Amino acid sequence: MTVRLLFTILLGGVAALDAVPVAQTFLSQPLVTGTLLGALWGDWRTALQVAIVLQILAATTVPVGARTPEDYAVGGVVGVGTALALSAGHTFSFAQDAAAMLGVSTGLAAALLGSGPIKWQRRLNEGLARWCEERLRLGDEGALGAAQRAAVVLAFAVGVAYCALGLGVAVVALRHLLEAESLKLARAWRLAQPLWLGLGLAQILHAFVHRRLSRIAVFGAALIAAWLVYVVGTP
Amino acid sequence: MTSGVNDSDLARVSARTTLLQATWNYDRQQGLGWAWCFAPVLERLYPDAATRRQRLAEHTSYFNTQPTLASLALGAVARVEEQRALGTGAEDDGVARVKMVLGSALAALGDRLFWFTLRPFVACLGALLALDASWLGALVLWITYNAVHLTLRFRGVAWGYRQGPLVLGQGMRDRLERAVGSLSVLGAALVGVVVAALLVPGGEPQSLPFQATLAGGLALGLITAQRARPSPTHWALGAGVLCVAAAWFR
Repeated sequence: MTVRLLFTILLGGVAALDAVPVAQTFLSQPLVTGTLLGALWGDWRTALQVAIVLQILAATTVPVGARTPEDYAVGGVVGVGTALALSAGHTFSFAQDAAAMLGVSTGLAAALLGSGPIKWQRRLNEGLARWCEERLRLGDEGALGAAQRAAVVLAFAVGVAYCALGLGVAVVALRHLLEAESLKLARAWRLAQPLWLGLGLAQILHAFVHRRLSRIAVFGAALIAAWLVYVVGTP
Repeated sequence: MTSGVNDSDLARVSARTTLLQATWNYDRQQGLGWAWCFAPVLERLYPDAATRRQRLAEHTSYFNTQPTLASLALGAVARVEEQRALGTGAEDDGVARVKMVLGSALAALGDRLFWFTLRPFVACLGALLALDASWLGALVLWITYNAVHLTLRFRGVAWGYRQGPLVLGQGMRDRLERAVGSLSVLGAALVGVVVAALLVPGGEPQSLPFQATLAGGLALGLITAQRARPSPTHWALGAGVLCVAAAWFR
């Protein structure tokens, strides 16, 4: 358990790096980190249940211009990690559903609050930029590389610290709730999961459609055709 | 004697684009990262250390664009900087002008292509494949996104250098606009398939409450999408609290 938690926290740091400071390869997307955590904890069902919901909700949260969006990179790791840590040792599906409910809720809260550390980090980077420009004026070209290294280390450290804090608080605070109220939480999951998926998918559809009727028609036709294929089966 | 930019310099710039946003801040935004990426070009063009440092300081000024398409701007500005260093055309303020114009134009196109189209598209594709608890969803999401992202990021610098400031000419603009349009149509169809897969997983219809709640979520999402605030995350948290309350007091 401790080793798994440690790797989960380290993955939070890696996700924080990938999200903005380094490469942006989408390794930080909740579905990718969730799948990795599912393999690490040996529980695909819970990991992917939480990861899919967070991924769909994260899909339209975009870092446009100077906007600091919700931090779904670390939020995804905290959410899936919380669900997996809480459901570890529970074999009943309702306990896993209850853990998924708490995992998604924690992930959403962590994503929302996560914009705070990112803003703080970006303000620290302002100081780093001023230092670098000063050193450049004094003839130290190596300052540019030093500033990049410092910013990468800072981003990783902030990601790891925030992930550890989120995961620690959530697991300690929610463990008793899961054990005492897993039936009610599982019932809440059965309501919340389709609601969250519908909410996120509608946001995605809105991004694609742009008020064009032809694209709404494409959505409708694909929905009916796929529904028929699923129900009747392929010819 | 100043020599021109070569393929090895462009390759070094391409590799450095992975850290374009490392020092992102509210003041210069990608400015410092841009200077870091651009440094190999300046090392080649300005053997005199004092001149090079002066140019490097100029390149730390404000810059911001969509990070993947920044490669095209880096290549194009490398061409202009080369002309300036060789004294074959570009004026002193030409570099700053090209940076500013390309930054805005690439941000407008890149945000639509990457953030508003490709990102939700790959998310839907990944989620669809992951619905039956398969790791394939994450793999397909990652590969599909990076097939576009890494190709443009690593080859974009050379393309930008070849085309110069005209890199975002009508041809490239049309290609990117077509990509956005086609991907949006495919994406709308994909959302339809995902909704169908949620309603009848494996051919077995979900329970009526599940179907009704999914439809309710879709309706709520379409209404809330009309306004940027509160964000979908706020709505989702609120909906979660309501579901917990409903389960508690049922």
